[in-house]
Amino acid sequence: MDLLDRYLQAAKKHLPWQRQDDIIAELKANLESQLEDKEAELGRPLTAAEAEEWIKQLGAPIQVAAAYQPQRYLIGPAIFPTYWFVLRLATVWCTIIYSIVSAVQILSGGIATSDQVLEAVLRLPGALITTVAWVTFVFAVIEYAVTHSNIKCMPMAPPAAWSPGSLPPIAKDSATGKRPRSYAQAVVEALTGFFLLVWILLIPGHPWVLMGPGALYLQASPFKPGPVLMEFYWCVVALSLIQLGWQCLELARGTWQKPSKARKNVMQVVGLIPLVLLLTVPNHAAVLLKHPALDQARYGVTLDTVNMSIYRVALFIFVIAAIQTIVGIVNFGIGSYRKRVGAI
Amino acid sequence: MSTTENVFENLRLELRRGCLTLAVLAQLRQEFYGYTLRKALADLGLEIDESTLYPLLRRLEAQGLLASEWREEERRNKRFYRLSADGEQIFGQLVEEWQAINASITATINNTL
Repeated sequence: MDLLDRYLQAAKKHLPWQRQDDIIAELKANLESQLEDKEAELGRPLTAAEAEEWIKQLGAPIQVAAAYQPQRYLIGPAIFPTYWFVLRLATVWCTIIYSIVSAVQILSGGIATSDQVLEAVLRLPGALITTVAWVTFVFAVIEYAVTHSNIKCMPMAPPAAWSPGSLPPIAKDSATGKRPRSYAQAVVEALTGFFLLVWILLIPGHPWVLMGPGALYLQASPFKPGPVLMEFYWCVVALSLIQLGWQCLELARGTWQKPSKARKNVMQVVGLIPLVLLLTVPNHAAVLLKHPALDQARYGVTLDTVNMSIYRVALFIFVIAAIQTIVGIVNFGIGSYRKRVGAI
Repeated sequence: MSTTENVFENLRLELRRGCLTLAVLAQLRQEFYGYTLRKALADLGLEIDESTLYPLLRRLEAQGLLASEWREEERRNKRFYRLSADGEQIFGQLVEEWQAINASITATINNTL
């Protein structure tokens, strides 16, 4: 039954990851036996409305899963699902609001520097920890009040609003033969994205993180990066931010198992922009002389060689990236077409 | 639900919690899988929600009181549970405790009536 599979899929996301498959296999066998009995009793399969009613009686997926979690003392199982729901919501909104406020603050002061952006990014974990602490504190107080009084704690927001019709469709892993991305993998990818962004933002102020001892040579050399390299740099920063934001959104929405192909294609297309910037700079002047009047005669040929090398490398990468992007978009188009035809 | 009903409901749940464990252990002297165990208990007048019974089986197994194995039955893989050796020993002790408590409570109730 499709609805039962969707229900189990939704519950699985909230189960302890080491035992997910085992628990779901057992629940499935038990619920299928129960369904068979119900249908044998009626002498017909359940109608869609009856199936929804039955699934609803089983309880919200998050609450079913919570019963399998080890005992928590600070926040008990009765309110833990609500706590977890509010915590995820609060961290997402904290990130969004913080990003908007930081962007407005930085841009209102004129041209943004990488140090300002880096500072804002590094302050984000502090803001998130504060949010998590406050939410946890409030729920710990509620838990204390509930356990030290005779109030019967009713499940709050998500279970009350829960309806079987809102369960997400089954992820079609068998069609692609790929294992769905695990939560741990998605978290590691988001953390890697965060540290990569921090590393990128460190580069202008501390070029040694990119070039090592070569940074000293660059400082002493007669060359300097041209404006186009800074434009290239800010494009890369923007792309990393978008990618990171998208990953965080997937984690918050619980859709990390199947990264969106559309997202991948959009990122590939947008990823070509910095390369186009490099390729279209007049005279391929990515690198300039610090003192053109003094050094042109001596370093002019070297400068042309450096700029031409940068241009060729950028062109090579652009061609490969463009081919990958086109192949990705064509595959996506074919996949969508097949899906549409298959649905008819 | 009124405050009195709330209080009763909380106390009833507390009272049931320990009894359910004993009933599950008693029933699992025979082998069952989750759903048939639930039905067997319901037939004896002890209705238990899926969300209570299935996690309870896991906890009892983790405590070493139950042993389980996956087996195919009616073209479906099912996890069958039964009392382990430790489970049988502890079940015996719990039954003694239950009978003693039951006798005391009955005597107390009868005394005060």
